[in-house]
Amino acid sequence: MIEPNLRTGKPVVQVRNLAKAYGPHVVLRDVSLSVQEGSVTAMIGPSGAGKSTVLRCMNLLEQPDGGEIEIDGHLIVAGRKPNPKNLAALRRSAGMVFQHFNLFPHMTVLRNVSLPQERVLGCTRDEANEKSMELLKRMGLAEKADQYPSRCSGGQQQRIAIARALALGPRVMLFDEPTSALDPEVGVEVLEVMKELASTGMTMVVVTHEMAFAGNVADELVVMADGGIIEKGEPGQILQDPQHDRTRRFLRAVLER
Amino acid sequence: MLRAIAIGLPLTVLVTILALMIGTVVALPIVAGLRSKNRILWLLSRALVDLLRGVPPVVWLFILYYGVSIGAIRLTALQAGVLGLGVVAAAYLAEIFRGAISSIPKGQWEASSALGFHRATVWSRIIGPQTARAVVPAYTTFAIGLLKDSSIASSIGVAEIVFMSSQYARQSGEGIMVFFVAAGVYILLSVPLGLLSRHLDVKMRKAVAR
Repeated sequence: MIEPNLRTGKPVVQVRNLAKAYGPHVVLRDVSLSVQEGSVTAMIGPSGAGKSTVLRCMNLLEQPDGGEIEIDGHLIVAGRKPNPKNLAALRRSAGMVFQHFNLFPHMTVLRNVSLPQERVLGCTRDEANEKSMELLKRMGLAEKADQYPSRCSGGQQQRIAIARALALGPRVMLFDEPTSALDPEVGVEVLEVMKELASTGMTMVVVTHEMAFAGNVADELVVMADGGIIEKGEPGQILQDPQHDRTRRFLRAVLER
Repeated sequence: MLRAIAIGLPLTVLVTILALMIGTVVALPIVAGLRSKNRILWLLSRALVDLLRGVPPVVWLFILYYGVSIGAIRLTALQAGVLGLGVVAAAYLAEIFRGAISSIPKGQWEASSALGFHRATVWSRIIGPQTARAVVPAYTTFAIGLLKDSSIASSIGVAEIVFMSSQYARQSGEGIMVFFVAAGVYILLSVPLGLLSRHLDVKMRKAVAR
């Protein structure tokens, strides 16, 4: 049988029974999530719901207290010390984009994108630069290659950060509120790039407050509150007809302001 | 008079440079200890820093010069001076380095981890260079301080500028004049250092202003 649609492929990311607490403060309780290859998953919900923590647990920027994470076949079980090779492989499979970009301020834009390829993939400098320029062109930033990040606008910096993550050829891209630190007008440039990325079939998990993006681009919507997933499914359906009272309250707050 | 100071000048510069070099190198493992999650390592390096800083440098020099004999070997005045000022410098520099490292935003570490850099790469390419930039002003301020503190070595007989000056003052009976000249020489030595530091700082800020 022929797969009717890429987006019903096998899961690239699987999160099972994730739990996390800072001392007595529980941030995640029993979160399970599966991300299909080629799909875009948007995670929404009020601040403090644990959306970013789920995302940051996926590539082990935060250590979960319980549960399992599997990305592209690389399994990490909470509580067991991850084998460094496995951890490196998992992180290579997952590209991360941060709210505050986190570009390296002491390197040019080109070096920012090329250095990880050289160090992590073992590319030569020429190979890396060629790939970087190609990605920067795709982001509309080829002319910024020799500038330092501080000379770029927030929207440009975020697109550079996306290029830096893409350069490592990840199986899934994780976006942690990529437009929250940007002016709305500038955020649009970043959202355009993300839409383009989604249309090429990149698997994406996006923590966001951009409801239009969540509604129009995402294939799967995950609503979180108080450390758990309260609703997930087809975005249009949830946005039109939320089943859970907490979702309704949240949507009213973000949509009717 | 000028001759006396000129004879002292090389030792002042030598003591300063050597102590700074020892201090910088010894500071690195101390910083590692201060940043260590291992409580014992942390406690040891913390205690070492407080011990080195808590005792006046001149006392360290006396202890090293008069008090230490390794086998049949005794330290010369120059060795004791350089070593004493060097280890005290290490304690201060360790704190300066530690502060500079912790001024690097957490996002730099996170981005490095997320990209999958090895620890060695994170230090050599990301944290190290940014720390070096952050540390320039405090480091040169310390170096200028050390240049002047090198005069403490005169107390154990290292023939640097202050030692030569006081010897000259005693012999010639000219008293205070030679010390004014010595003061001028110290200023001449430290001002260019300060200028260089500011120049470097401004230049690097221009390149990578956040």
